[in-house]
Amino acid sequence: MFKQVLVAQWQTSKLAVGLLTLLSFCIPLLAVLYGGDLAGAGRERVGDWLVAADRVAQLLPFIALLVGLLLGTLAWSADLAGRHVYALSLPLPRGLYVSMRFGAGALFATIPGAAMGLSSGIATLAVALPPGIHAYPLELALRFWLASLTVFAIIFAIAGASRRGQVITISVIGAAVTLDVVFLLFGVDYSVTAEALLLLTNWPGPLSLLTGRWALFDV
Amino acid sequence: MIAHAIETHDMCYRPGPGFELRDVSLKVRQGAIYGFLGPNGAGKTTTIQLLLGLLRPQGGSISVLGRQVPRELPRILGATGYIPERPHLYPFLTVAQAIRFHGAFYRGFDWAYAEELRRGFDLRGEAKLARLSKGEMGKLHVLLVLAQRPELLVLDEPTDGLDPVVRRDVLSALLDFCSQGAATVFISSHLVHELERICDWIGVLDRGRLVAELPMHAFKNGIKRIRLDHPPSLIGDTPFLLVSRQQSALDQVWVVRGWQPTMVQWFQGAGAEVKEIVDLDLEEGFVELLRGARTPTS
Repeated sequence: MFKQVLVAQWQTSKLAVGLLTLLSFCIPLLAVLYGGDLAGAGRERVGDWLVAADRVAQLLPFIALLVGLLLGTLAWSADLAGRHVYALSLPLPRGLYVSMRFGAGALFATIPGAAMGLSSGIATLAVALPPGIHAYPLELALRFWLASLTVFAIIFAIAGASRRGQVITISVIGAAVTLDVVFLLFGVDYSVTAEALLLLTNWPGPLSLLTGRWALFDV
Repeated sequence: MIAHAIETHDMCYRPGPGFELRDVSLKVRQGAIYGFLGPNGAGKTTTIQLLLGLLRPQGGSISVLGRQVPRELPRILGATGYIPERPHLYPFLTVAQAIRFHGAFYRGFDWAYAEELRRGFDLRGEAKLARLSKGEMGKLHVLLVLAQRPELLVLDEPTDGLDPVVRRDVLSALLDFCSQGAATVFISSHLVHELERICDWIGVLDRGRLVAELPMHAFKNGIKRIRLDHPPSLIGDTPFLLVSRQQSALDQVWVVRGWQPTMVQWFQGAGAEVKEIVDLDLEEGFVELLRGARTPTS
């Protein structure tokens, strides 16, 4: 059964997986594009190089976000189009079906992560690092993969929710935005959405993996 | 062996204002070909979705193949072949992939029979579902549910929009299958003539209410249009069920159910003269039944 779910889900996800894998593979290589041999380079040049490599690496959380967003949405796209009638009429517990859809999506989300890990390894080998600078290809790839999976899980849950669940989610967001507007009109210096975003993006918030510095090279 | 493949008691469902399924009590005998008739918007698809656990009823109980819905849903669905009103298969799959996908979920899926039907229906394995015609898609749905070798077939307007040739192919395949075993068929349609040929039992749903449920022969033979002179103005106990009564310029026309030839005497006793008794076909009977259900006679 899982194999068939995997095959079917691949049909809807393959284009996104291909493009995201290509992007994930290219970014670590771009980060070291003009690095070359830094073994004998001066402190200033190493510093400049590190800043440039960091800038490129800052694209990685956005790619991880994109991986989660696209694969989470695409995991349900076929069932959504048919109003879940096919899925609901299949003879298996609903939890098992959801697990299979989730498993297939999570598996696809590892492909860009693996590509990122591979190209990080290649990028690390491509530069002769000066003393005191270290490469973290595995750590970065793991973080990328976990961030993709986290976003995927959130989007998968929202996209696969019942209409009632989706209405509740949208209503909560709408209420928060409305409260912000009301606070703004009455001159109250407080934002519900900003607080919620802080909670989500600061540790132990689930999206904290996406924030902070993403560096392939560091001291 | 269970007596009824489908049994509901006072099933109620109200998705919102404007429509309500009220106290629907269905009894579909094991092995029957049960035609579920009703005009568009009567609640046929909603009833089917409730039977298969796609929707949750707000009242009453549902039992399918002797098991309770929704508690034993996976086992019920494992023995049920379902063709929904709108095609629901994934359009990006090929015919061969759709068969493999569907078959993987059913323990008793008959792969050889599926292949035999695919060839019989002239469906190319490599054809994408998105490119299939409506008729080909209809055939594929039938192929998939028949290859499941189900105990119960639930078909929601399976031939709607199909051309007569495809419709005949689809109905022949269904009847062939039914003749092989003891499958129960629950088929919903508003194409009355189609059901007249294949069903041995019918249920009529109108505006969310089950207005009739009876054997096909009783429905076909028992519904009459009677033209009367000097009809009785007051109707007390009648030996038949008065479905509707209409006054024309010359006489009065009654439509009755449960008619027997000896019942002419009841009219004579009431001082009326029976001018004509006409057998109604299923479609006419269906229309009269709905008319009667909507405007109750005094």
